[in-house]
Amino acid sequence: MNLTSRLFLVGIAATSAFLAGCATTAGVRDPAGVPVTEMRPDERGFVAGTGIESQDLVSVTDKMARSILSIPQIARAQVPPSIVLDPVVNNTRFPINKDIFLTRLRTQLNSKAMGQVSFLDREMMKTLERERELKRSGQVTASADPNVVEFGGADFFLTGKLDGMTTRTSAGTSDYVLYSFRLTDARTSRIVWEDVAEVKKQGLEDAAYR
Amino acid sequence: MRALFSMTWSSITAQSPSGKTRRVSGGIFVAGPAGGHAHPRGRGWILPAALSAAVLLAGCATGVVPAQRSGADASGSRTTRGLTVADRRVQSIAERDRVLFNYRTAALALRNGEYDLAKEKLDDAIVRIGGIITNDAEAARARSLFTAESNKPFIGEPYERVMAYYYRGILYWRDGQPDNARACFRSGQVIDSDPGQQGYDADYVLLDYLDGLASAKLNTDGGDAFRRAQQRLGEQRALPPYVEDANVLVFAEFGYGPRKYAAGEYGQQLRFYIDDSPTHSARLVLEGGKLIVPLPGYDDLGHQATTRGNRVMDHILGNKAFFKSSTSVAGDVALAGAVIANDQARRRERQGKDGDDANYAAVGLGLLGMIGKVASAATQTQADTRQWDNLPQRLSFAAVKLPAGEHRGRLEFLDRTGTVLERRSQPVTLSVTPDGRDTVVFLSELKR
Repeated sequence: MNLTSRLFLVGIAATSAFLAGCATTAGVRDPAGVPVTEMRPDERGFVAGTGIESQDLVSVTDKMARSILSIPQIARAQVPPSIVLDPVVNNTRFPINKDIFLTRLRTQLNSKAMGQVSFLDREMMKTLERERELKRSGQVTASADPNVVEFGGADFFLTGKLDGMTTRTSAGTSDYVLYSFRLTDARTSRIVWEDVAEVKKQGLEDAAYR
Repeated sequence: MRALFSMTWSSITAQSPSGKTRRVSGGIFVAGPAGGHAHPRGRGWILPAALSAAVLLAGCATGVVPAQRSGADASGSRTTRGLTVADRRVQSIAERDRVLFNYRTAALALRNGEYDLAKEKLDDAIVRIGGIITNDAEAARARSLFTAESNKPFIGEPYERVMAYYYRGILYWRDGQPDNARACFRSGQVIDSDPGQQGYDADYVLLDYLDGLASAKLNTDGGDAFRRAQQRLGEQRALPPYVEDANVLVFAEFGYGPRKYAAGEYGQQLRFYIDDSPTHSARLVLEGGKLIVPLPGYDDLGHQATTRGNRVMDHILGNKAFFKSSTSVAGDVALAGAVIANDQARRRERQGKDGDDANYAAVGLGLLGMIGKVASAATQTQADTRQWDNLPQRLSFAAVKLPAGEHRGRLEFLDRTGTVLERRSQPVTLSVTPDGRDTVVFLSELKR
């Protein structure tokens, strides 16, 4: 093999070596990221998680509805108790539509309770009061005596709270959200029922965003 | 043949981002024997090789495909079928730039008092920036050698994402949802956490201060958040204590935010240019000067942009730059070898010896050299400098208690020494609602 052939081979080898260096993500762990994984709250995560999504809403409200219907104050009540929903408080880092939790919980209870509970529509109070005044003043017809107070009083208040914990490191982001709901007796202020649901999620973004 | 190689070589060197032209053998790459000294076998070999090289080069010359616009084109492409006029208007923005468009539009809408539009754009952006982006094909391509970083869907650097949450938080508070506003401020602080640079972890003063204020308004303890905010501000300045019955929340911003640029030999380093604004603080003068609300700059986006440390993407771009540099050098070496081999072939032929081997080596090395140079030229090392370019430099806040009704006054901007910048003053009218809900006022020095 003469000098030029050697040169040729060395050139091929050198070029191949350089082209083999095409992997720009050498030294970067999980360059494509790690897909978000839902885990049991008691499971040890490899990082930390992400936000509140529809599947969380569904699973949490399903669990709460089942739980509420099983308590004696509801299951064995002679007269269906009246419940007022109070807006949930969001203590997490995720902005949410707060009404959606109580709306789904109410619809679940209404569809599964078979008349075991009734809900009072306090969101409509201003409209209802205006209507009653119209009836009292005779501007509109009334099917019953409008001077008799018939607006129902609450037996229980149902509300909830969302609390969260976040961890963010170079290994990823993790979020734990605790959904707690409680039913408070309007007469005694006693909490007659309380339950929680927990969701933990974690993920690592694509290296292009880290 | 010589002309072909010469032209090709010139076109390759012309693509070098450094602008330097390296020449071999007097500026002309001689691929094979010249004139009557050419060996018949060598000449027959060179032509197909040259054509192959030309085809190869032509294939590589496409470079980066320009950002694809998915909107209507002149031919009425299939992407526009079935879309309404409104759909087409929205889709005229490349999907990868959608968040950037939302950011800019939201900031402008907020300054113009178009709060519903601002909410819509910020919500759309937050859906994208709030998740964990994995297995995204465009992001994967952005990491590859021959695609620029700017091909990935834009979500912005942390200071830009924080501002999306900050603005959305203001709007939530304006809608009477301080807990969702607090959620936004907390998300902003999480985005700013774990920087590559020590000592700058989640260090926005206002995000913590507002977190605590929202908690106080919700009848929970905001003390921890207040203490964190005070710690981030430093001992020399004191944050105003929370006034829980303050019903007017004034959010102010002034100066122009940081600008991105690409530095380094191959533009692989993302850097920020900060033009310090003359406006260092502001004040709200109400009731004919009887009430003066100070609005000091608590957070500086220039500081936030430059204290994040290196990104993982910087490492990837560094690798790309190394590859670009290495393949260029390898190409130079191979081309130099080709020249040497060619000289040797000609010398052997002059001596009446067989120069075939040397000719083949010259051609082979020439091809390898060109492959190296093309690979180098096609490597896209530039850092992504797309930016939310209508951000402010400094953020401020004040909470005051005012009776319901209209309050007229002016917003004054002050320089470093506390002197009023008269030409920047703006008249202000605050309408305080009597419904007990906080009145949120957003004031900006920026017009667009």
